Amino acid sequence: MEAIRNAFDFSDFPRLDLVIAGALALFFVIFPLSPHSSFTMATMIQFFMFSIYGMGWNTIGGYGGQVDLGKAQYVGIGAYTTAVMLIRWDIPFWFSMPVGMGLAVMWSFIIGYPLFRLKGHYFAIATIATSLVLKDIFEVWDFVGAARGLGISPIKYQPPDFLRLIFKEDIYYYYVILGFFFLGILYLNWFRTSRLGFQLRCIKDNEDVARSLGINVHWAKIKTYAIATAFVSMVGSFHACYVKNIEPEDTMSLDISILIALMAMLGGAGSLWGPIIGAGILIPLKSYLKEWLGAAAGLVGIDLILYGVIIMLISAFEPRGIWGIVEKARRRKRR
Amino acid sequence: MAFLEIEKLTKAFGGLRANDGISFSLERRELAGLIGPNGAGKTTLFNCISGQYPVTSGRILFDGEDITLLKAHEVARRGIARTFQVYVASGDLTVEENVMVGCFMHTGSRSAARDKARKILKELNLLDLSDSMVRELPVPAQKRVTMATALGTEPKLLLLDEVAAGLNPAEIDGIMGSIRHIHDDMGVTVMLIEHVMELVMNISDRLIVLDYGEKIAEGTPQQVAKDPRVIKAYLGERYVKEHAKSDLSLSIDH
Amino acid sequence: MEILLGAISSGLLLGMVIALVALGLTMVFGVMDIVNFAHGEFLMLGMYTGLLTAQATGVDPLFTLPVAAVVGFLLGILCYSGFVKFLLRGPVVAQLLGTFGLMLFLRNLALLIFGSEDRALHHGILVGKSFDVGVGIIIPATKLAAAILSVLSFVGVWLLMNRTKVGKALTATALNGQGARYMGIPTERMNNLAWGIGGATVTVAGALIVNFWSVNPFVGILFTMIAFAVVALGGFGSVPGAFFAGLVVGLIMEIPGIWDFLTYLTDSEVMGRVPMTSLKYMWIYAAYFVIMVVRPRGLFGWKQ
Repeated sequence: MEAIRNAFDFSDFPRLDLVIAGALALFFVIFPLSPHSSFTMATMIQFFMFSIYGMGWNTIGGYGGQVDLGKAQYVGIGAYTTAVMLIRWDIPFWFSMPVGMGLAVMWSFIIGYPLFRLKGHYFAIATIATSLVLKDIFEVWDFVGAARGLGISPIKYQPPDFLRLIFKEDIYYYYVILGFFFLGILYLNWFRTSRLGFQLRCIKDNEDVARSLGINVHWAKIKTYAIATAFVSMVGSFHACYVKNIEPEDTMSLDISILIALMAMLGGAGSLWGPIIGAGILIPLKSYLKEWLGAAAGLVGIDLILYGVIIMLISAFEPRGIWGIVEKARRRKRR
Repeated sequence: MAFLEIEKLTKAFGGLRANDGISFSLERRELAGLIGPNGAGKTTLFNCISGQYPVTSGRILFDGEDITLLKAHEVARRGIARTFQVYVASGDLTVEENVMVGCFMHTGSRSAARDKARKILKELNLLDLSDSMVRELPVPAQKRVTMATALGTEPKLLLLDEVAAGLNPAEIDGIMGSIRHIHDDMGVTVMLIEHVMELVMNISDRLIVLDYGEKIAEGTPQQVAKDPRVIKAYLGERYVKEHAKSDLSLSIDH
Repeated sequence: MEILLGAISSGLLLGMVIALVALGLTMVFGVMDIVNFAHGEFLMLGMYTGLLTAQATGVDPLFTLPVAAVVGFLLGILCYSGFVKFLLRGPVVAQLLGTFGLMLFLRNLALLIFGSEDRALHHGILVGKSFDVGVGIIIPATKLAAAILSVLSFVGVWLLMNRTKVGKALTATALNGQGARYMGIPTERMNNLAWGIGGATVTVAGALIVNFWSVNPFVGILFTMIAFAVVALGGFGSVPGAFFAGLVVGLIMEIPGIWDFLTYLTDSEVMGRVPMTSLKYMWIYAAYFVIMVVRPRGLFGWKQ
């Protein structure tokens, strides 16, 4: 179908970009087969996870221009749906993940309808508000384990379990998330030149013009928000099977929402590669800082101080992120 | 029944009546001009017709349907497109991509939209600029891009808002040619707001004149140019008296 | 009945203090249309300032307010001229994330310097004392003092904005920055001043709050969200709005108490099982959302 052809159509990217992307893709595929530490493997998996979170965020935040700081709630919905369905009813991942996505998308429609009457700061704060409301509810709701959270014990199952996504070695998780990663890129590639993608970019620049071209702005935003939600929830489900221990504080906290938004912004919101670049910088940074500095010598929080400073610098001086810098440099060279 | 029928349209902002009881009608395939001094309420009228503003009272009937209460995107889907004084669909997109945004109103497929966009660009002589970024183009080309984008929606009625503003005489000629082409060869009914007299006087079948929110005259360019109320609105009382003495009129010979 | 009256009076008192917390936020927003996510961190720093000054000098906590005010004022100006000023040039995305970065920075700096344990005040003229007004209303002396000082601060700021030349200049800048500039008002200085006053009011609020609320580096975000709810309800930019909205939000914080009263009244088992106390902040977030959807302008706001 045309859609699939479009997803694979990278022809409007400069040759150099495609070569680098191809090389990286190859690297990603071979990586687990080369010597590596388990720490690096874990970092890579985190990198892919957050890239996908960021790519999802990018649809509504980057192309759509509406800053969403409440994505963590969908991580939670995805994660908890999968965990609950596995623990209580032994339902495999490949079934519970779509269910999680469905629930997440439903929730996104419910709050999206009123939410998108707002713009700018008001919208952003409202997204935080809904995310915190959901988190607070999960923290007192016994069905999902309240503040203690839920735990999946691998001993109950025979790893490697491909149906339930329970594995002993990280390498299996690596290839699963890598698969999602490539799928995500293909989807976004289709999205950015799809009807909704174009409409969004017009909306971002000038809503009045968009309306005069027959675009139902409100509905377009809600649809895009649902797409972003689906991305995030999908990886949330994966998260549950990977870390096997989830609680509201580390799955649905504000910090996660910020991290997601930040990653996309740092790398360059509104571009295909942006969130990946952002994740590529911040995730290893976070991991290695924690490794070296960690909680030792009372240097708690120094990684976040660095984050804070990075965010401040980027927002003040280069709000279009790293990819924005690259594009600016290219445009200047063209002249 | 006329193609576009405006019945006693009033748009008030608090105490200020930007449009006061305006009535006129437009036939299919006409090329009408909407003129009047600054602040007369011309753009407001466009905004009411296209659904950007809710109307205070009155009715708007288009192609047999009452569209008064429709939202902007619904009006667009009924076949009324417009340009805005300043903006294109997106400064971040190329010319072709901009026009595609308009084309997407009638199709979901990227290739169909691209083909249609290319056709429109060809009609307006913009094909060789397809891949340029809109914000890097000179002003007259940008204006043609906004028209092309609006045309992407396959409108029956096109509202042009001061497309000739800021152009030099040669560029005005070019724009006039484009508008003529859109009207004559593409079969679109056109209504334009203009301050550039040589353009609107020479291209319009009919003119509607607004002043202080009210319609003060209507007719062919020749009739309107000699109408004392119109002269008074533009040039003031004094010239009306002078007109009575001589054969002064508003049309500027091209 | 006493439970209800106790909850209401507690809520109103708390509300007055919350109003003061929100005052700085609404002022800054009014003057330059930027939402400061780091607002709660200023509060947190104010709390530490109050606490540490009292502990270091042995002075009563209430007298540390001037110190807090000065610290807050300087901090506000520093943040503006050193950072926020540059954010204003960019898109809204950048502004939001920028003040968020500031929040992360301040919060973790505090974590680094002060450590993560809760700290509270144990000494002070008013600590531990309360007035029993009867009818079940028990007013802790610290909360009362805080409320009184909050009202005084509000009156002070209101007088400043409406009766002084500087205040009028600030209002002018808020209403129309460009126009104000043309009239010869030094808008840069006004912006700095707004941040300075905003910072001072919220740090003072912090120094007051630390009398009855323990501090750790993470309290900031909660108060930021509370302040947002207040400002949304009262209207972004409105000083009197912040006061009345503060009272309302203070009452919302007492929902557990009111819930207990209703549970007792109706003898309902279902109601008794709902862990309202843990959910009390949730109501604030929910309130923010509902207000923004139903009446974005808030009660008194003139900006949207």
